[in-house]
Amino acid sequence: MSSRDHILNRINANKPELLTLPNIDASIFDAGLNVMAEFIKKVEVVGGNVLETTSNDAVISKVETIFPDAQIKYSTIAGTEAFNTLDLTTIKKSQDLEDLDILIIESDLAVAENGAVWVSDKQLPLRVLPFITKHLVLVVSKENVVPYMHQAYEKLSDTSGFGVFIAGPSKTADIEQSLVIGAHGALSLTIFVK
Amino acid sequence: MSHSQLASIFNKDEKKVDWHDKALWFVRHKRDKSVHEVKNWEELRNLGHGIKAHMLSNLDVYLKEFEANANKNGVEVHWAANAEEHNQIVLKILQENNAKKIVKSKSMLTEECHLNPYLEAEGLEVIDTDLGERIVQLAKEPPSHIVLPAIHKNRHEVDELFQEHLGTKPCDGDPQYLTGEARKHLRQKFIEADAALTGVNFAIAETGGFVVCTNEGNADMGAHLAPVHIACMGVEKIIPRQEHLGVFLRLLARSATGQPVTTYSSHFKKPADGKKMHIIIVDNGRSEQLSRPDFRASLHCIRCGACMNTCPIYRRSGGHSYDATIPGPIGSILSPGKDLKQYSTLPFASTLCGSCSDVCPVKIDIHAQLYKWRQIITKETPQPFIKKKSMEIMGSIFAKPSQFETVGKIARWSLRSLPKSMINSKPNAWGKARDLPLGPKESFDDWYKNREANKTKND
Amino acid sequence: MKVGLFIPCYINQLYPQVGKATIELLEKLKVDVVYPSGQTCCGQPMANSGYEYEGEGACHNFVNNFKDFDYIVTPSGSCAYHVKKHYDIIPQTEEVTKVRTNVYELCDFILNILKVKDLGASFPHKVGVHKSCHGLRGLRLGSCSEVVGPKFSYIEELLTEVKGVEIMPIKRGDECCGFGGTFAVTEEAVSVKMGKDKIKDHLESGVEVITATDTSCLMHLEGLVNRNKQPLKILHIAEILNSSL
Repeated sequence: MSSRDHILNRINANKPELLTLPNIDASIFDAGLNVMAEFIKKVEVVGGNVLETTSNDAVISKVETIFPDAQIKYSTIAGTEAFNTLDLTTIKKSQDLEDLDILIIESDLAVAENGAVWVSDKQLPLRVLPFITKHLVLVVSKENVVPYMHQAYEKLSDTSGFGVFIAGPSKTADIEQSLVIGAHGALSLTIFVK
Repeated sequence: MSHSQLASIFNKDEKKVDWHDKALWFVRHKRDKSVHEVKNWEELRNLGHGIKAHMLSNLDVYLKEFEANANKNGVEVHWAANAEEHNQIVLKILQENNAKKIVKSKSMLTEECHLNPYLEAEGLEVIDTDLGERIVQLAKEPPSHIVLPAIHKNRHEVDELFQEHLGTKPCDGDPQYLTGEARKHLRQKFIEADAALTGVNFAIAETGGFVVCTNEGNADMGAHLAPVHIACMGVEKIIPRQEHLGVFLRLLARSATGQPVTTYSSHFKKPADGKKMHIIIVDNGRSEQLSRPDFRASLHCIRCGACMNTCPIYRRSGGHSYDATIPGPIGSILSPGKDLKQYSTLPFASTLCGSCSDVCPVKIDIHAQLYKWRQIITKETPQPFIKKKSMEIMGSIFAKPSQFETVGKIARWSLRSLPKSMINSKPNAWGKARDLPLGPKESFDDWYKNREANKTKND
Repeated sequence: MKVGLFIPCYINQLYPQVGKATIELLEKLKVDVVYPSGQTCCGQPMANSGYEYEGEGACHNFVNNFKDFDYIVTPSGSCAYHVKKHYDIIPQTEEVTKVRTNVYELCDFILNILKVKDLGASFPHKVGVHKSCHGLRGLRLGSCSEVVGPKFSYIEELLTEVKGVEIMPIKRGDECCGFGGTFAVTEEAVSVKMGKDKIKDHLESGVEVITATDTSCLMHLEGLVNRNKQPLKILHIAEILNSSL
């Protein structure tokens, strides 16, 4: 017998009688959050920054003032082609993105209770982009910020081939519990809400 | 060595014990602050428990559903009955892809299967990329905690380790500098890797996708750069539906570190164009644990480590004192299921204070299971003659009040009359650091009888 | 209401003053309390050591002693918890079920059955409360810091009413003291370290007297305090509630 069948047979023989699957009633977890205030607070808790903006142009000019020394830049938001110093069609392998300084991506979902922003294959020409870049900039509309993870998954009927909730810049506390921002992923995270 | 022997060695350095205890208490404290902010937290735990319990009761069905959906997504699914088969499958995939350099993000399952030494013996390079795991890998030690693998090492030890292995400059244990150097060192490993290995936090039957949570971004750096991604999971990582992630992702990081969610919650479903994705589903004793009604709830575990951080014994004995892949309270109920004799002292490494069960995000009755393992261990493994005999004698004394009275009298006399040096002599472990109570002349029994007799006289 | 008093084995033999305070207190509260003769032990020491079956005789003896009472009261959260939680190893006759339902830890009984708070006691000292785990997390005689919910503590509710008592806050109010039955001996090093840390927490808060619902924890702490000659007094809660200093 294959290991597959062996394992499945054993589980079938050893499992208890069927127990009911509980229903998730998201309303009992609703503390009536002020969604935007909570989102901003939580992004800061997880080490990111939130800025308000009105247009993509405003995002670009602000990013250029925050990161004046950035050399290699790439943005996927509409109408900002002039910002890009990188032509992804010339990138043969993800490894060549190693020196990327700034990446700007638009997201269509964020979560107030934990400051997480969803980014997926829909927005990512290459999956490694938001991790390999030194600085990550995310743009999200206010109406796309939901209060809790339960509402986030209601909206995420399809997570596409790959998607990720990003909450703050990469971090570690593996050396004596001292929090250090900037482990393997982005060193900073700036979120623009519009 | 038994847990108590290893724990007493750890306790020879009291300053280190204090430091270790404080570091973990700090994490437990952050957990408390974070969960107290969540409305109906205890209901959320109930949901986590209920979903996991249901999952186990229908596990084979969900595994098949998961496999079918993963296949549809272009992911290759493999099955391993035990650790050896798991390691063989990993090796075979690596060989088929001509992979020599492997980067690995945290996976307790691959620790359990001793994958690293197996691959290294085949001449492959395996680099643990989680900073804590890299630290213990360089120190040639196993992780001492499932979320904080290097929690037993102080910053100066890390400093020395990095000087020796990564050629860093002495920095008086500056975590910022050391982390920066590790980033550079591991960045190179990510760029060069031929294959990436990750664990799995949750595998969703409904979609065939799986979620990996990290704070450092190491799982993603590995998986998105290397041409091959191998994800290893125990059978119990399945959850029925994607909406259940809403429950578990709310529970996991808050319980683990007090963060509202991990920095990256990565949802893998289909391989990227031109890349390969493999999932290895591993049993390795889990189906047997499922057969034990008293212990099957241990398979609910989502590996948050909260039970370790809250455990007053873990904090004061260190993860290595458990000498098991998963240390602490949860490890002490999982390990005896794998090898009752080898891990027979672990369920006794507890005062049964119950705090582990109270923090568990999926409400595993950990301390109740510790108690139940004790009952099995004393029956099925060899026990010290003195312990067995004294329990038998106590049992018979307590069954008969007249005997109890006589023995009590003798004990009180001894405590009162024998010299302290004799009472606190070596065979009495109690007396090493503690005094015994002074035996009173009169027991409560005696006092009560006298009082009642006097009452009748006076009436 | 007929109340049977259960005095745990080690209190009977080593700390009779705790038993005396308990019965005096209950009598003060006009409880019709009887101390049935022929008591031994609830069976917990064997059971927690993995020899549950060796305690069966003790379980039967306990049920025989107490089957005719409306309530069974004991100055020990741990013993009450053991009867409630672990007496499933003997056949569940009507008597066994009745005894398991009606066994109460002393503070729980006074507060929730007698519904009395002010016992007219006075005790002019700085008191540190040790919340014994089996009472706290087993019987839920109080809330603990890791659980989300309303805060309460039966022992502190009663103590607050005692004239002169100042309850001192300690840093880790619900951390285990490290007694744990045979754990105290088999895991001597960790047990002693836990006890030392607990005492340090109380000393740093300016506590003069440590009290608890369980003499077992207190015996362990007292052993350390006496050995290390620390300026602390150890008293069972019954002794404070029965005090008129």
